[in-house]
Amino acid sequence: MAQRAVWLISHEPGTPRCGTVKFSRRYPTVEKRASVHNGANYVPVPEDGPFLKALLSELRLLGDDKDFVESRDSCSRINKTSIYGLPVGSEELWPVVAFLKNDMIYACVPLVEQTLNPRPPLISISGISQGLELLFGIQDFLYSGQKSDTELNTKLSQLPELLLQACPFGTLLDANLQNSLDNVGFASVTQPQKQPAWRAGTYKGKPQVSISITEKVKSMQYGKQDIADTWQVVGAVTCKCDLEGFMPNVTVSLHLPTNGSPLQDILVHPCVTSLDSAILTSSSVDGMDDSAFSGPYKFPFIPPLESFNLCYYTSQVPVPPILGFYQIKEEDIQLKITVNLKLHESIKNTFEFCEAHIPFYNRGPITHLEYKVSFGQLEVFREKGLLVWIIGQKFPKSMDISLSGTVTFGAKSHEKQPFDPICIGGTAYLKLHFRILDYTLTGCYADQHSVQVFASGKPKISTHRKLISSDYYIWNSKAPAPVTYGSLLLLP
Amino acid sequence: MGPPSREAWAQRLGAFRASPCAFLAGPQGEDLGRELLSDLRSDKLSEQTKVSLLALSLEYAAQLWPDAPAAEAAAASLLDTLVLLPPRPSALRRPLLLAATTALAAGGALGPASGAACRLLPLLLGLALGRDLGRGFGPASEQRPLQATACECLRELESCQPGLLRASLGPLRAGLAQEGPVQPLSLLLALALHNALALQPRAGAGLQGLLTARVAAAGDSPWSWTLAGDSDVPFEPQAPSWPEAEEGARGLLALELSPEESRELRATVAQLLDASYLLAPVAQAQLLWLLCRALRGLRGQPPALFKPQLVRLLGTAHPGCPAPGPAPPHPPLLPPLPPELPRKLSAGPRRRGGRPAAARAPAVPRPPAPALCTSPQPSLARLHLLCLLCAEDTEEDDRGQGGSPQRYLEELLAGLRQRAALDGGPRAWATLCFQASYLVAHCLAGQPAVLTPLVRGLAQLYRARPVLAPHFVDLLDRVGPELGEPLRVALCREVVSRPGGDAALGWHLQVLARVVGAGSQSATLHFLQAAAAHCPDWGLQQALLRVCRALLGSGGGGGLADLLQALARWLEDPDGRDHARLYYVLLAHLAGPKLGLALGPSLAAPAMASSLVAENQGFAAALMVREAAAPMRLSVGPRVATGPCPVLQLQVEALEPAYSLELRFRVEGQLYAPLGAVHVPCLCPSRPASPLLLPLQPRRPAPTRLHVQALYTTPAGLTCHARLPPLTVTFSHLFLPFPQAPRGAEPGFFEELWDSCLPGGAESRVWCALGPQGLETLVSCHLEPFVVAARPPASYHVAIRLPPDSKLLLRLEAPQVDGVPVALRTDDWALLPLAADYLRGLSAAA
Repeated sequence: MAQRAVWLISHEPGTPRCGTVKFSRRYPTVEKRASVHNGANYVPVPEDGPFLKALLSELRLLGDDKDFVESRDSCSRINKTSIYGLPVGSEELWPVVAFLKNDMIYACVPLVEQTLNPRPPLISISGISQGLELLFGIQDFLYSGQKSDTELNTKLSQLPELLLQACPFGTLLDANLQNSLDNVGFASVTQPQKQPAWRAGTYKGKPQVSISITEKVKSMQYGKQDIADTWQVVGAVTCKCDLEGFMPNVTVSLHLPTNGSPLQDILVHPCVTSLDSAILTSSSVDGMDDSAFSGPYKFPFIPPLESFNLCYYTSQVPVPPILGFYQIKEEDIQLKITVNLKLHESIKNTFEFCEAHIPFYNRGPITHLEYKVSFGQLEVFREKGLLVWIIGQKFPKSMDISLSGTVTFGAKSHEKQPFDPICIGGTAYLKLHFRILDYTLTGCYADQHSVQVFASGKPKISTHRKLISSDYYIWNSKAPAPVTYGSLLLLP
Repeated sequence: MGPPSREAWAQRLGAFRASPCAFLAGPQGEDLGRELLSDLRSDKLSEQTKVSLLALSLEYAAQLWPDAPAAEAAAASLLDTLVLLPPRPSALRRPLLLAATTALAAGGALGPASGAACRLLPLLLGLALGRDLGRGFGPASEQRPLQATACECLRELESCQPGLLRASLGPLRAGLAQEGPVQPLSLLLALALHNALALQPRAGAGLQGLLTARVAAAGDSPWSWTLAGDSDVPFEPQAPSWPEAEEGARGLLALELSPEESRELRATVAQLLDASYLLAPVAQAQLLWLLCRALRGLRGQPPALFKPQLVRLLGTAHPGCPAPGPAPPHPPLLPPLPPELPRKLSAGPRRRGGRPAAARAPAVPRPPAPALCTSPQPSLARLHLLCLLCAEDTEEDDRGQGGSPQRYLEELLAGLRQRAALDGGPRAWATLCFQASYLVAHCLAGQPAVLTPLVRGLAQLYRARPVLAPHFVDLLDRVGPELGEPLRVALCREVVSRPGGDAALGWHLQVLARVVGAGSQSATLHFLQAAAAHCPDWGLQQALLRVCRALLGSGGGGGLADLLQALARWLEDPDGRDHARLYYVLLAHLAGPKLGLALGPSLAAPAMASSLVAENQGFAAALMVREAAAPMRLSVGPRVATGPCPVLQLQVEALEPAYSLELRFRVEGQLYAPLGAVHVPCLCPSRPASPLLLPLQPRRPAPTRLHVQALYTTPAGLTCHARLPPLTVTFSHLFLPFPQAPRGAEPGFFEELWDSCLPGGAESRVWCALGPQGLETLVSCHLEPFVVAARPPASYHVAIRLPPDSKLLLRLEAPQVDGVPVALRTDDWALLPLAADYLRGLSAAA
């Protein structure tokens, strides 16, 4: 259960090597173990240069995809995981865990503590899960709160020291590298016994607990008879507990309104010390009896110092907050568009903002537009081929608004206009962006009086709620649209 | 010379990291390890530089000190540096401990004979257990981090030398119970326990004593050096692998613990588990994994021990746990979901109207909207599951509108094809589409309901984007006949229906070379003939020839020989011409399996290459020319009265297929010059053969007989010889007309010829009987080309040239009811009887 080597590689398309090794770390003791365990099938970890080339080629990032290359493009070379085998000389280095995110390639080679021939099943190699955790941890560290390249470089320069803390011998001790960073700072503090590994130091200051519930609603609406619309809500409870003491205990309870749909698929943060198994039984997948448990959902935990996601949940809400209809008719060079949006009466009609983005892909710039809106105002981004309907803070009393218009496009030039592999021909969507504060679709709330804190001092407790849209699509009803999982699992 | 400065070291380290092998092989490489160790004690370098030197030694210990003595010396030197550090806080203590451990373990110096190991181990254990190390090892503020580091070092040494800490189980357990950093001690104890249990059968009993001892177990040495090495069975912590089938391999089942040992072990495990919530998530995963492995198969260790921790972890968002018990909530091998999503299946769909989707069939992860699928891996994984669902679903009725997974699968594939068809799209999209098609063909091979639309869609994709030809060829190479055969036919049809001059001709030819086969040869040949005119460059010509070659391999067929011959003439490139000729020769001389063998060894004709003995007989037979019945009938066709010499037109009627036919003629009586052989590329009974023209060179203008032999190759590749019935060359076959006289001058021309025959020649008169048709018909049937002057229907002047240099002149004038008197003159008296016979022959025919 260890890593032989770790790399961070920036993907730089267009440069001669298409990438640079930004960071690498090898573990010679693990390498030694690998040579013992893998015996005749042992392949040493190559130097950075050859590794970079082999990995970029395997990940199709060398920018040379003009020609069909059988070893890479063959239909039977199906890899459903992020685990690769890289050619190194005449042999193959396996397993290599690698993925690309934000133009950065995260890669590591886990130790396999058994013979490699025959190749053991991936699930039996514990180093793979650990390798992924390590890489995700590095990714979280690099991109949490990072805004500029300078910050990224600063964080990259901290990595050697952090890995010396978090992964000194290739065995990961804590995927949260920020903790390790804090640990360095707290090293001079004499610690008492029994301090959680994730709580590196102590807080000094005014005690306060902040709990915020953020629900994201997704939807795919088609306006078609044969395809069912879908919507789902995913909630996240974020906490920040500034409490003194080494092991403060906090219990947060989530409540639902009467007749509210129960929370499902609950996942908690590892700092939660115990969990009622009843909380875990309700799942969106196995269709258990929903009425079995409807809260309150109690989560006792020892909070880490930083802000963290106490739990996630989903829920089956009866209606989508906004029901939409979108239709495009193509007439010569013009598109006639019609949009209707209706806010459901049960939804709080006070938005922080509400906008409908109407992009037109794979066409030229907008040269002419005639439109009529019953409410709000329309902004046109001609070059981008985008209409933004700003609905504002409130729907009108009727809850029903509409937009109709005619759009004309100029000649298409490949460089400038947005390209999309899905929106071909009549296939088009409208995407809703909105946010409602102090509101959740499920009705879920954390009562600040029910928050129990066992720590010195009486903390100030604050709670927040918001509903935001995420991937809220309304598809042109007159053309094919990508079906989500739609009707697949529905029985009459 | 003083030590290199900070900058010099930075430069050196940079060069080393760029390519360690090259650096070590270079002039600076030799002393790097030694200088690094000595500079660690230098007062002139900052701590920060020293840390970077130690960092290098942590990564490249095996390269810096490649053998055991060097590693031992390095570890000793690092330990010396460590104890010489002044007692104030220093950033070097942790990395020095790590570096000494790394040097020993990576250099293979770890062992009872190692002085450095014997110094390092007690130091580490003392630090790990929080003991006072006498001289005040470092300031108090560093004790906690050093304690944790010492635990990590011990854990690594235990990993490299399993069983090493067996005798220290008791003190470690005691250390965990007291104040101590929970995570490092827990992990160290768990690993030591795991290894101790795994090696217990080798080590013998005594576990209880080990677990309860407050100080290291007595004996000559507190370190167990030899446990892992004294067995033939390699110590493989992860084996036996999933699923846990062969428990016996590690001898775990053989381990019988006494009740006291079991109780003590259970207490130790419970102690570790109870504190596990204080560990970081990944450390919890390691702990559980180690404990599960350690206790597997042991009696008296109920799985219920794990329950509270497992319940807690199963609801945890980042388990990172390789699954003791049920599978982790998110598949650990897939790329991460967006971080804002819980790593668990997301919420279910709802029907319009809001009734929850109650009863569901199997719990399948639902493919998200394609727009969200940027990575192909999850798409393929989901598609695979969908295929399995479809495969399971065949028995059930179609669920009607939109309900069936098959329809969904079709839509998904259509979407992927649509993306692949986008002009200028990245190749990865095309690859994804073909991978999906391959998966479907693989999983649903027996379902025409799925494969038929797939074939249709792929053919459409080819039509839209022939540039994907290599993907099609690859797909055809990989899939079974269930998809391969219909796809082959569909693509062949798609290609040959194109005009030959298509811009994508190169791709068409590439596909065609893979898809030609029986059944579509005439259309293929037609396409190739049209394409041949649009192959200006070498590449296209070669592609064209590859298709021809593929056609050869699939049995050739009518028309191919003609095409190859034409290509051998047309192609500009000499290489292309040579290939065309070669293929033609192969086609003409070999057939059936031999042709296949000649085109490249293949599984189709293995016997030809291998079984020499059995082959010999057939081989000898193949080399010999065998007598056979004639594969065709030859007959003499109508007279061809043109050109400078008489030409015999031969009609060929093929009875069997024959290739590379050579007809040899022998003239009876040496009346003519020897005749050249006539060659026919191939004869096919189903195909009308064009007539053969045999030029005759008479030495005397006389009829004769031609003896004919045929030499040819059968489709089985045998060379055969046949004698054909002789052909008769009649007197009239030698007739040639005189050059046309100027218009109006014909009568005078004839009279001149007539007069020129005498006195050297001969004159005669013959009565030629006429049939009911009369003179006009007789002339038009037999003498038309030779009539020089005529006054139909009563008078015809006929002049006939007879090679090599004779002439025969006829006057047919004043016909009567039953015949016509013919006056004839010739410059060669020997012709008179032949002419008379000819004219009498005409009478008889009439």
